[in-house]
Amino acid sequence: MSRTVKNALFWGASKLALILCAAVLGFLLLSILWQGGRAISFDFVLSPALDFGTSGGIVFQILGSLLLVVTAAIMVLPIAVGTAIYRHCYMPRARDKTRLDTVLYALNAIPSISYGIFGLIFFVNILGTGLSWFVGSLILAMMMLPTLTLASHATMGSLPKSYQENAAALGMSQGEIIRHVILPQSSGGIVTGLMISLARAIGETAPIMFIATAFSGVTLPQSLVEPVASLPTHILALAQQSTNPQALQNAWGASLVLVSFVAAFSALAFFTRQKFSHLGHR
Amino acid sequence: MLQNSHLQIVSNLADIPAISLKHFSAYYGEACILSDISLKIPARGVTCLIGPSGAGKSTLLRTLNRINGDNQTASFTGQVDVLGKPLIAGYKDVTKLRRKVGMVFQSPCVFPRSISENVLFGRRDKGMSKAEKRSLVETCLKDAGLWNEVSKRLDKPAMDLSLGQQQRLCIARALAMSPEILLLDEPTASVDPVSARVIEDLLMRLSEKMTIVMVTHNIAQTKRVADHVVFLCDGQVVEAGATRDMFSRRSSDKTRTYLTEEFCDC
Repeated sequence: MSRTVKNALFWGASKLALILCAAVLGFLLLSILWQGGRAISFDFVLSPALDFGTSGGIVFQILGSLLLVVTAAIMVLPIAVGTAIYRHCYMPRARDKTRLDTVLYALNAIPSISYGIFGLIFFVNILGTGLSWFVGSLILAMMMLPTLTLASHATMGSLPKSYQENAAALGMSQGEIIRHVILPQSSGGIVTGLMISLARAIGETAPIMFIATAFSGVTLPQSLVEPVASLPTHILALAQQSTNPQALQNAWGASLVLVSFVAAFSALAFFTRQKFSHLGHR
Repeated sequence: MLQNSHLQIVSNLADIPAISLKHFSAYYGEACILSDISLKIPARGVTCLIGPSGAGKSTLLRTLNRINGDNQTASFTGQVDVLGKPLIAGYKDVTKLRRKVGMVFQSPCVFPRSISENVLFGRRDKGMSKAEKRSLVETCLKDAGLWNEVSKRLDKPAMDLSLGQQQRLCIARALAMSPEILLLDEPTASVDPVSARVIEDLLMRLSEKMTIVMVTHNIAQTKRVADHVVFLCDGQVVEAGATRDMFSRRSSDKTRTYLTEEFCDC
């Protein structure tokens, strides 16, 4: 087989893979857009759920989901960035770095239901917190930790070594180099990692289902140990009433809102990366 | 024997050396990069470290402001005095040493910020007023021969400058720290010949008020800019002395071969 034919075959196969991938994603998004679009209205987005979600809107589900992930982001960001800085600046041996990476990859691979079960056993059963949105955020933060740490140290590792060397040659201390060189130059990658992990966390049902959310009858929590409503658990509850067309319609509508949040976080990640890479390579 | 004579030759050039090495050896892990070097580099003027690749020139240079210390495998033995104080015991805070001993690297590295922010990058003094900062930027850029080219665009990104201009900006940035010694590791290797000549003129002007130690592979450049030359080969000093002596009364075959044929068989 000539090289030209091989090249053409390889090009065709890779293009086919791309088309298949885009087709699956396109079909899924179009279905959600088509079905969910019929349920969406200002009233639906801004009013509370009624009759176990079969009527009314999803305002508390939206607020609950945002409360869960924003709190998780606030909790995870300093820990993930701190770990990445320690790995990048203060961990001298390559072997230790490899061990840390292995642990983070292993954490990243743990199924989300396992985090949920851990939260149920440790916080709800042993510590007796009961249903608590704060515990839900804590569990989501644990889930986000490996993704964000890996993204942070990947972006720190990709910085030109010459930046740090030049800063050190100017008499800057390690702390100053971290504050004025490493963190500003890595911020694009860190924000991108944060957005990607937020996009993943906001769609998670399993880890928060048993420990942080209630299917109906909740509004905004007044304390740390109260449950919230969330979009994923609301969709799950509505999907279980599949014989009721109104419940299904609302489930599609809630799905569209959830996918919009995921898309918004992903778009933010994309634009952040674009903005910072533009600054870095001008 | 040879090294002792070099010690004498160079020490005659100035009463108080800016840098003094006695039985200095440098290692990366087990590998010995520089072996038993004794040398005095006089204050003021340009001292060029020349020699083939792998001779240990950059290792020697990088030892002098302890940038090598950031490499976990790097170590050295012997005595090194910088500005009259021992390199380790005299500068417990390495940042103080590096403010006195500035360094410019082979490839220009500007930070993705404005030109004036790059000049002030190492200056973290909180008490500096805006006027003082502006004056410092102007002085350093003038000293680096860059002021006329950038004075109207100080707030523009430094990355828009040409490589030659970026290298002079790196020198301006180092000068902003008011160093007493400036180390340069092949500062003209990655710039065009015209920019290289501008940098050479700049170094000769700066050498009137500070000690400049420069690594170079360019023999013609050495002849043009150096007041003193140290020829290193295979981790040892082959010969050191005033430039005019090195290029006229060549005392060793190795030096002669290297300076004329740019070849070394050590």
